Amino acid sequence: MKRLPVILASVLIALAIASPLAADNVKLTFVYWGSVNEDTAMKEAFKAFEAANPGITVEPMYIQGDISGTEYAAKLRAMAQTNTLPDLGYFRPDQFGEFAAAGYMMDLTDLVQKEGLTRDYLPQAWLKVKGRIFGAYTAAECQVMFYNKDVLKKAGVPVPPSDYRKAWTWDQFVKYCVQITTDANGKHPGDAGFDANRITTYGVSYQLWHAMLTPPLWSGGGGIVSPDGRKVLIDSPESIDVIQKIADLINKQKVMPYTNPSSTSQAGLPTPPVMLANGQLGFYITGQWELLDIAKMSFPMGIGALPIIKKPAQMYISGASVIFKSTKFPKEAWLLHKWLMTPDKTLNLYTSGLWMPTKASWYNDPADLKKWTDNAVHPAEFKTAVLDSMKIAEPIPEVRVKNYTQIINECVNPQLDKVWLGEISAAEALKKAGDLIRQQNLMQGTW
Amino acid sequence: MRNPAPVRNLSGTRRVARSLVVAGVSRPRRERFLSRYNNFWGWLFLTPVVLGLSLWVAFPLGLSLFTSFASWDLITAPVFVGFKNYIDMFVTDPLFWQSVVVTLYYTVAGVSLQVVLAFLAAILLNTRVRGVKVFRTVFYLPSLVPVIVSSALWMWLYNPQFGLFNVLLTSLGLPPQKWVFGIQTVVPSLILMSIWGIGNIIIVFLAGLQDIPKELTEAVAIDGGSAFHRFRHIILPFMTPTILYNVVIGIIGGFQTFTQPYIMTNGGPANASLFYVLHLYRQAFMFAKMGYASAMAWFVFIVTGVVSIIIFKTSSWWVFYQGETKK
Repeated sequence: MKRLPVILASVLIALAIASPLAADNVKLTFVYWGSVNEDTAMKEAFKAFEAANPGITVEPMYIQGDISGTEYAAKLRAMAQTNTLPDLGYFRPDQFGEFAAAGYMMDLTDLVQKEGLTRDYLPQAWLKVKGRIFGAYTAAECQVMFYNKDVLKKAGVPVPPSDYRKAWTWDQFVKYCVQITTDANGKHPGDAGFDANRITTYGVSYQLWHAMLTPPLWSGGGGIVSPDGRKVLIDSPESIDVIQKIADLINKQKVMPYTNPSSTSQAGLPTPPVMLANGQLGFYITGQWELLDIAKMSFPMGIGALPIIKKPAQMYISGASVIFKSTKFPKEAWLLHKWLMTPDKTLNLYTSGLWMPTKASWYNDPADLKKWTDNAVHPAEFKTAVLDSMKIAEPIPEVRVKNYTQIINECVNPQLDKVWLGEISAAEALKKAGDLIRQQNLMQGTW
Repeated sequence: MRNPAPVRNLSGTRRVARSLVVAGVSRPRRERFLSRYNNFWGWLFLTPVVLGLSLWVAFPLGLSLFTSFASWDLITAPVFVGFKNYIDMFVTDPLFWQSVVVTLYYTVAGVSLQVVLAFLAAILLNTRVRGVKVFRTVFYLPSLVPVIVSSALWMWLYNPQFGLFNVLLTSLGLPPQKWVFGIQTVVPSLILMSIWGIGNIIIVFLAGLQDIPKELTEAVAIDGGSAFHRFRHIILPFMTPTILYNVVIGIIGGFQTFTQPYIMTNGGPANASLFYVLHLYRQAFMFAKMGYASAMAWFVFIVTGVVSIIIFKTSSWWVFYQGETKK
């Protein structure tokens, strides 16, 4: 009897050693973040992949992320350091270049070219470092303008144009925002006796974090930094003009509620989508992914083309998907990578309004379009206002430009805070931001 | 030893000792063996703690000291840079001093207010009034709320458009405030929030108050002393050790403030709530500057130690311990 534990232990050890040898099973570990919704869709996609590829199992490694992605990035960094990176998965776009340059990502260039995938996908979708492809954007995401039809109607404001090339000018947009903004006595900004402390309906709410500022900055001919990561653009006259225009919505025209973009949580209740649904807000300019939540609220929602400052502009933003170089199963990992780039496999993520696909035919082929936009979530004008604008979408600089996170967090955001608060002018703040970037020598080009 | 119990009925050391007697081992050898035997088991039972401390405390501590002299992004090899990280802290980092100022402001103003108010609240909660237990519960409850929850709650109260505080202010005809969203108001707002959660400090004060000998306060009353005399000459001196404890713990906690700014303000607006540890966290986990972050960690560790020592050394001037005689 005394031998029993010894025998049991030996059997267990033998089993542990033998199991990987016994089955010729390939196990891929896929790391990802996202909402509970996304987690479910991913797990379903893995199951379908396993059924279609016998002999390969997928182990999901779901890391519930924080908003800024800092925790996720830190975890992957620790895994890289300890040589325990998974086979493939999502990657924080702002750290993609650094990791790809350090040799942690598998080079996909030859595979993509051999299989002729470049023309099947949006040209922006492939993530390159020094001309080589080391990953792809997981999806396509951009900026949109939601509106509440009832609020507009009540204020006598026409619905905005739905063609991204024929949108309102900034002045038209501001005029309509003033028309919508109402205080408790029914007065509008500019009326005698208008009480800015008791506004019941606001014209617009803009998300103010860095990505959301890029389309208007580009539309006005400015930017944060140049795409080659060599030149500071945030203190250019064009950028200053755009930032001042947005700040004036809050502090001068009083048509936008003050929000704190540096807060990681929402600036208290109610959030802009709730205000929009409650009829307290006319327009809401934010990421297209908010369609997921907004479509579930019961109010007459529409999507309009983004106001044009000088020329139409759009951004391309998303998380990255990569295969880690350390994988033991590059062939199988590539199969799964391609599987997840096929929107049919995770259709729910597209029909629900969370993502837009990276596959080109899903933007113009009527049969493919029908698969994901012909539903109650996507309004009729989604195609011309949003999808078509992806033709001019530029990837935001975070994937390529070195030190981008630090430029934004330490130099630009704190200065912008003062502008949104109305304490100093955009010119003064952005000059300081530019100086801070140059002082710390943060413009180091691209990865 | 007349009727020694059978060996099999004994356990542990006694069983071993008995076996040695039965085996006829001489007394000195028996004792030597037993002491070694006990040492072995003693150390064995200590291993979880010793291993835990060395693996999870001593080793990371040493590693972070080493890292503080290196430049390390965790994905390429660390490069030894000498004192560069420490020099950068004082010379090139434009936000280091900002984070020091914010942290000192919060700690000094926050701790003094917390200690004074908690002391006063404890005195009130130590009186014999009806429902004092209810009051004690009410004051203590907020400190049981997790910081995440209380932060979310206070974000609603502080909302500049619809928050309860601004509704109250405007109904009184006062101008609404930006609270945590204003550059000047963000730290005071965080302090106000911290005062809401002083239940723990109140409990410590309350325990201290209940230790004060009744006969002393009664003696003051008999001699015709007022409530002020009672406070000034009996309560306050007796409470100085408790005050010392709360001040030291408060300062250490203040230096390490992280969760509230991380959740509520992310250091903003305009870095007005960029606390030291939040700045450190960003360097480490956002910008992957492990060396610089380690140097910052060691700096605050040393400062906390020095400040604590100074407070303890100077405490002999004002702290009175019961049973101690003044020289």
